[in-house]
Amino acid sequence: MKSILGGLGRKKLPDYITDNISEDLIRLEDLVKVYDTGALKVLGLKRINLTIHRGEFVAIMGQSGSGKSTLMNILGCLDRPSMGHYYLDGVDVAAMDSDELSLIRNRKIGFVFQSFNLISRTSALKNVELPMTYARKNKKLREERARQLLARVGLGKRAEHMPNELSGGQRQRVAIARALANEPPLLLADEPTGNLDTAASVEIMELFSQLHKEGTTVVVVTHEEEIAAFTERIIRFRDGEVLSDSPNVPREPRGRDSAPDAEEGIELRDT
Amino acid sequence: MLIENMLMAFSSIRANKMRSFLTMLGIIIGIGSVISIVSVGDTMKGLFEELYRNIGITQAYIAIGYWVDDWRESDYFSLEEMERIKEIFGDEITYIDTDAQTSADAYCARTTVQFNYTGIDYNYQEVQPINLIYGRFLNEGDVLGRRKNVVMDTVSAMNLFGVENAVGKTFRTTIYGTTDDYTVVGIYRKEMNPFQAMMMGANTEGGEAFLPYTILSWPNDFIYDLRFFCRDEETMDELCANIKSYVARSKDRQPEDFQMVTAKEQMGQWNSMLGGLSMAVGGIAAISLLVGGIGIMNIMLVSVTERTREIGIRKSLGAKTRDIMVQFLTESAILSACGGILGILLGGGLVTAGGMLMGVQTVIRPEVVVLAVGFSAVVGVFFGLYPASKAAKKDPIEALRYE
Amino acid sequence: MLWENMLMAFSAIRVNKMRSFLTMLGIIIGIGSVISIVSIGDTMKSVFEGLYREIGVTQAYLMIGYWVDDRRQSDFFTLDDMARIKELFGDEIAYMDSNAYASADALYGRNKVKFSFDGIDYNYPDVQKINLVHGRFLNEGDILGRRKNVVMDTVSAQNLFGEENAVGKTFRTTLYGNVDEYTVVGIYRKEISPFQAMMMGANEEGGEAYVPYTLLTWPNDYFYAVRLFAADEAQMDELYQNIKIFVAKSKGRKPEDFRMNTVQDEMGSVNGMLGGMAMAVGGIAAISLLVGGIGIMNIMLVSVTERTREIGIRKSLGARTKDIMIQFLTESAIISACGGMIGTLLGGGLVMIGGSMMGITAVIRPGVVALAVGFSAVVGLFFGIYPASKAAKKDPIEALRYE
Repeated sequence: MKSILGGLGRKKLPDYITDNISEDLIRLEDLVKVYDTGALKVLGLKRINLTIHRGEFVAIMGQSGSGKSTLMNILGCLDRPSMGHYYLDGVDVAAMDSDELSLIRNRKIGFVFQSFNLISRTSALKNVELPMTYARKNKKLREERARQLLARVGLGKRAEHMPNELSGGQRQRVAIARALANEPPLLLADEPTGNLDTAASVEIMELFSQLHKEGTTVVVVTHEEEIAAFTERIIRFRDGEVLSDSPNVPREPRGRDSAPDAEEGIELRDT
Repeated sequence: MLIENMLMAFSSIRANKMRSFLTMLGIIIGIGSVISIVSVGDTMKGLFEELYRNIGITQAYIAIGYWVDDWRESDYFSLEEMERIKEIFGDEITYIDTDAQTSADAYCARTTVQFNYTGIDYNYQEVQPINLIYGRFLNEGDVLGRRKNVVMDTVSAMNLFGVENAVGKTFRTTIYGTTDDYTVVGIYRKEMNPFQAMMMGANTEGGEAFLPYTILSWPNDFIYDLRFFCRDEETMDELCANIKSYVARSKDRQPEDFQMVTAKEQMGQWNSMLGGLSMAVGGIAAISLLVGGIGIMNIMLVSVTERTREIGIRKSLGAKTRDIMVQFLTESAILSACGGILGILLGGGLVTAGGMLMGVQTVIRPEVVVLAVGFSAVVGVFFGLYPASKAAKKDPIEALRYE
Repeated sequence: MLWENMLMAFSAIRVNKMRSFLTMLGIIIGIGSVISIVSIGDTMKSVFEGLYREIGVTQAYLMIGYWVDDRRQSDFFTLDDMARIKELFGDEIAYMDSNAYASADALYGRNKVKFSFDGIDYNYPDVQKINLVHGRFLNEGDILGRRKNVVMDTVSAQNLFGEENAVGKTFRTTLYGNVDEYTVVGIYRKEISPFQAMMMGANEEGGEAYVPYTLLTWPNDYFYAVRLFAADEAQMDELYQNIKIFVAKSKGRKPEDFRMNTVQDEMGSVNGMLGGMAMAVGGIAAISLLVGGIGIMNIMLVSVTERTREIGIRKSLGARTKDIMIQFLTESAIISACGGMIGTLLGGGLVMIGGSMMGITAVIRPGVVALAVGFSAVVGLFFGIYPASKAAKKDPIEALRYE
């Protein structure tokens, strides 16, 4: 497996990327995360068992220190569990090495961060292209798809802008477009509205709702009830354990006329 | 305040250890190579001086100039002329001979060894240290009586006779076509350091022996050149000029027609050549010091940008432009001076280690060391000026707002 | 992907223009000084080669070895010896004379000029370019008849007679004690480059003239050396060896007792010396390249720290360790290679300008340039490895959290 990953991207992708086996997109089995801080060991997550199906729209909630960020890092394949199994799309990623995890992140996961995390001094277009660059897609295809994605999040005319020339809401939309670049089955958003005002927050959450309706699995980590209200299932965490897991009737999206970014409009077309 | 600044500088140097070390490394390498090259030059000078002191710094040779087109028989020297020079300049010349040398095979039983013979006068020991361990040196009787007695060193004796103490033994050799038996009357021990052995050629297989110069002038009493030692190093230039004038007059020539080679002069030439060479090469090595200085400037610029907020806070607390300037200048000067000191240790250490390996006494002049440290501090201040003034000119409001 | 990396690198370089420039400057200075020194060495070599070609690479001098102790009268050469050599080796020798020269004052009216007289054979223009502007060259009759005819250059004629065309004029001089009248039969123009003038000494006040070599052998028909020009450069070594053997046999000696100085050997040793010097000094200049490389490493480390968050983002988007590694390596290699190219232009330019100021064609070997640029890229890669691997190994979670 290592040898395949070590080669160029043009080579045949490994099975765990190409085979979509499972209806359970995420399945955690007895997942434990221990932080070793030297003197004492801190239990971050205590034997979590959790399944998220393909196509769900889930909110993970909890106070800071509840373990939701730890879970987010593990779900995003940025971190590895200490014990237990994490099946992403039917593949156990718990034992993968860092380059294998890179490939998983590239193909299976789209990240949306609280602080946007766009690469500075790099245009919106180039930012969106980046995951495709690491997927070794050719330049023409990359640019075409990046423009499509930017248009889809309502930033078709801002493709050449630098991040510092965009508002917070616009930056987060660039980040969402970037997260969608390689058509990952899972969209992971970590406090996506934490740095935004209310109007922009609503706008972003509506975008997630729309994506969910189009079939993307969306997992949002948040501590705000208003944000969680947009989702269809709310999982609450406390002290590294699941406190509750309940379905939710999502708040209805507003009409298009009330969108704050009216001059561009948000066009949500199928791709 | 200076102490405050230095403490601040050291703490920020410590804060970025890797970065500070790499910045210093440029200066370390620069100063280290300059010091090495200059010290190698100085050491070589010292070695040559020792070499010349060993063969006798007051030694001089006089001969008709090679540039003279119309050589005459009278341009050669005779033994009588030598005697006359001895008479006239007696007090100022400690020793004079005909600089006679020849080489021939020496036979003893079945052993054949190629020998170099040097013809000397009986008082040769007064001008050249000869560590006689067996027998006696050649005496006046040997020289005047043209006796076939020789003095050789231990290695030569070992090569020819298989023993060190060969006093009384005889060997057969052919000098100027005449084959004769020669008797060893004395044995001395040669002491030379590896550098001398390299420069003068170590004698491991052949042989060397002193014999009366009167033997080597026998077949035709024409002598190409005279060798003499002056009594006083200070006045030898004048003495040599006088001897040249006297010889020229007696041979009806211009003094410019004679060449006079002195060990002192040759040593001077070596000294100035080595000095010039090590200056030039040291200068080229100093280019790396320039590059190191540019490295300091670059890193100080980075440091100023990173610490923009700190500068804003200091200014808001009342630091003047000059205070900020001095703070950063102190930092770059300390970086550079530390590099300089480490560079000296490195360069000096390398040269000393190399010298020890070669069995040579190394010369590291203190003024070169002082100059190097001083220069590296100047490099630090010079290349620190631009970043420091950039830091000092920052607007406090902007600086405080900087992320 | 490579192209992507290069674009990324260039944009990163542009973002910090000052920093990138200073980093490059180290490499610029390093490569610039190495290129200059090596090119100066190459240029000197070619200048010396030109000089030797001018005086004739097939030229050689044969004489008794200075190491031979028992000189005999027969070790010298006579006209008969020369005639025999000529007879035996005929066509293989393009030219031959007795390498005779003398200097004496030439008197014309009230003018007195110190002249160097060069004894040559009539076919000297076959082996040396002589640009005759007035009159004729010395002919066979002049040589065989020992006629007191001379050919001189325009400057010498001007110095002695006050005019260039002095054909037919006579002057008085003393050669080997005989005072005689000499007649100018030809005038030639000397063309020498400023460098040649420097090396061979420009003749501004004195005079030079060619006379039949038979005139300069007269008082005692012995001469010390024979000067030869081989007809074929490719076979000259063999020819000279054969001549040496023949001469040694005819004089009852061994070939090793004779010395054959060829211009080619001399050229070879000058070339070797210059090459060695340029290598050694260029190597010392390369120390600054090392320091420049350390500067690259330092700045890349700063850059990696500053861009920690960027690295985190890239990793979260699927960049592998290798991708990050290559990104930063590309950046440092580009900085260094750009510095190398600019340094090459700078160093090459300086040498060219210096050369054209001195009237010399500068030699800048493409191989050296390619090597320098390639080497600078390697320096960038080498010193980029540590920072790049530091960047590549960053933990994505920590990196994303970095402020």
